[in-house]
Amino acid sequence: MTAALFRKVLVANRGEIACRVMRTLERMGIASVAIHHHVERTARHVRMAGEAVEITGNTPVAAHLDIEQIVAAARATGADAIHPGYGFLSENARFAAAVAEAGITFVGPDAATIALMGDKISARNFAEANGVAVAPSVMPTDDLDAFAREAAAIGFPLLIKAAAGGGGKGMSVVRSTGELREAARIASSEAERYFGDGRVYAETYVERPRHIEVQVLGDGAGGAIHLFERECSVQRRFQKIVEEAPASSLDLALRERICASAVRLASAARYKNAGTVEYILGADGRFFFLEMNTRLQVEHPVTEMITGIDLVRAQIEIAAGKGLPLEQSQVRAEGHAFECRICAEDPGRDFMPETGVVQYLDVPDERWLRFESALDRGQRVTTDFDSMLAKLVVYGSDRQQAADRSVSALKSLTLLGVTTNIDYLARVLDHGSFRAGDLHTGFVREHAAALEPTPLHADRRAQVLAAAAFGFHEFRELVFGTPEPHAAIGKWRN
Amino acid sequence: MGFRLHLDGELHEVTVARRHPTLILTVDGKELEVAAPPGPGDGHGTMEIGGLEIAFARAAVGDRQIVRLDGRTFDVALVDPYSGGGAAGGAQDALKAPMPGAVVSVHRRPGETVLRGEPLITIESMKLQTALPAPRDGVVARIYRTEGETFEKDEVIATLEPQTEAA
Repeated sequence: MTAALFRKVLVANRGEIACRVMRTLERMGIASVAIHHHVERTARHVRMAGEAVEITGNTPVAAHLDIEQIVAAARATGADAIHPGYGFLSENARFAAAVAEAGITFVGPDAATIALMGDKISARNFAEANGVAVAPSVMPTDDLDAFAREAAAIGFPLLIKAAAGGGGKGMSVVRSTGELREAARIASSEAERYFGDGRVYAETYVERPRHIEVQVLGDGAGGAIHLFERECSVQRRFQKIVEEAPASSLDLALRERICASAVRLASAARYKNAGTVEYILGADGRFFFLEMNTRLQVEHPVTEMITGIDLVRAQIEIAAGKGLPLEQSQVRAEGHAFECRICAEDPGRDFMPETGVVQYLDVPDERWLRFESALDRGQRVTTDFDSMLAKLVVYGSDRQQAADRSVSALKSLTLLGVTTNIDYLARVLDHGSFRAGDLHTGFVREHAAALEPTPLHADRRAQVLAAAAFGFHEFRELVFGTPEPHAAIGKWRN
Repeated sequence: MGFRLHLDGELHEVTVARRHPTLILTVDGKELEVAAPPGPGDGHGTMEIGGLEIAFARAAVGDRQIVRLDGRTFDVALVDPYSGGGAAGGAQDALKAPMPGAVVSVHRRPGETVLRGEPLITIESMKLQTALPAPRDGVVARIYRTEGETFEKDEVIATLEPQTEAA
């Protein structure tokens, strides 16, 4: 068989991940179809695709969650496969089933596997039954009072989570009985809204935990390999902002045990696709299964950087039935990579989401850097979608070089018009404890004061004020006397 | 005549001291020679100031200039010479939206009492739910947005009855 694995693939996503998937499709000689809501009709992923289909919905997000419309779009365009990206319908069993029913290949596991891993309870039970360690927990119930009582009984601190959740939605740490009820209520209502399933559960919260996850590939017949681990301990609001591969200062034997545990799970589930098995790792070296994500992960590029394996290509090959691209012994990791998530948010105000227009964008161009985004100059950043604008992925021959390069890239990256966390990320990557690899999921909170911007030196402040002043035409008139024509033009944007 | 700018919560003043033979500004009273002034418009620019050549990037957003210099971003606002400079009082009576979003649930009705820190309204923005606490103890005067309604950043979404002096 020499022909392309698929003729045409519909990418059921948007933003940076749709663009990233289409890049690999193009390299593989496969045509791509984009879907988009009316508000994003000129977006980059639409321009990149060979064809684009508009989908409708009360909100743009609702359109991207409309299974029937998306399957119909694939049929209408003659796509023989659908790549779901991450988020949206990527871990929706009904979607995977509907795609299969339409005679289209879903680039992902089958509906049953998604359902098994998508429900935290069944995933946990499955992991436990297959020799993967899980943390002590309380099962969900509709009775909030009973839940609060039982949860309190296993001791604090506790982590409250949505049974059907992911991405930090409906999650919180509770340290006393008093906070428990309200936290469970909020978690339950968020879970109901996002996942249509209000069940929440609680488990022992490991203090100073590290978030370690293993990238796996499974062929659907019990064959599975790992592509080493990533560390995603630097988080705010339970969402990752800096990820790296490999994890820093991880004992080799421990690394092997974690990776082997992930492969065992993927193999037992006869997992088919790229997937990620997430763990929390305590300071004592104990690790517990968190969840398995049955899709491409946001932070997958750091693994690609150190292994040289294109994970999207691997997904497509596996979906087409070609099996695993290589054997475990052939997987090699070299160097170190960081990913920084550039978000529209204000670190000075507890990372509150921000909106605005991208007035100016300048991205450094280096061989060791990937800037994954669908950003355009003039683009309006709204609350319609997630606040992540881009990912800056940097490679180095070792952790220090990768960190140095990341800081330098973050400092030269210029995105003006929307408040972002770019400067904050540079301070994180420059922080002594970060450099020392002293990471845990409370890093952002623990070092909050040290991660604030340093006060400006008076000379520097004068330069900033001068640069700003000359941007106002009122000031230019004041300085240059009569209004100069260019000063007036300065107010106009194209 | 001074040109007033707001940066990091502080007011600064830039004035023209001399135009010839070279341009001299004073920034917060300190003289600064501008051998080559920056140009207008958005984008990368350079200036020669205080004997140094400085590269920066800048973009105008309404009455603000966003400046990126030395790997840091600064938000510089033009202070309207006609404004008094900050509303006096009443801030504690209003619950302002910290970000744009939509109301998920309203926990108190007008006329009900609320203690400082108690959740008044739960909002949602970019898939994130946040309970907005009452800014102080008091009685709810008005709720401006009900469940499902959207609002912009800094919009007042609820107010408390003005505080009366307790004897």
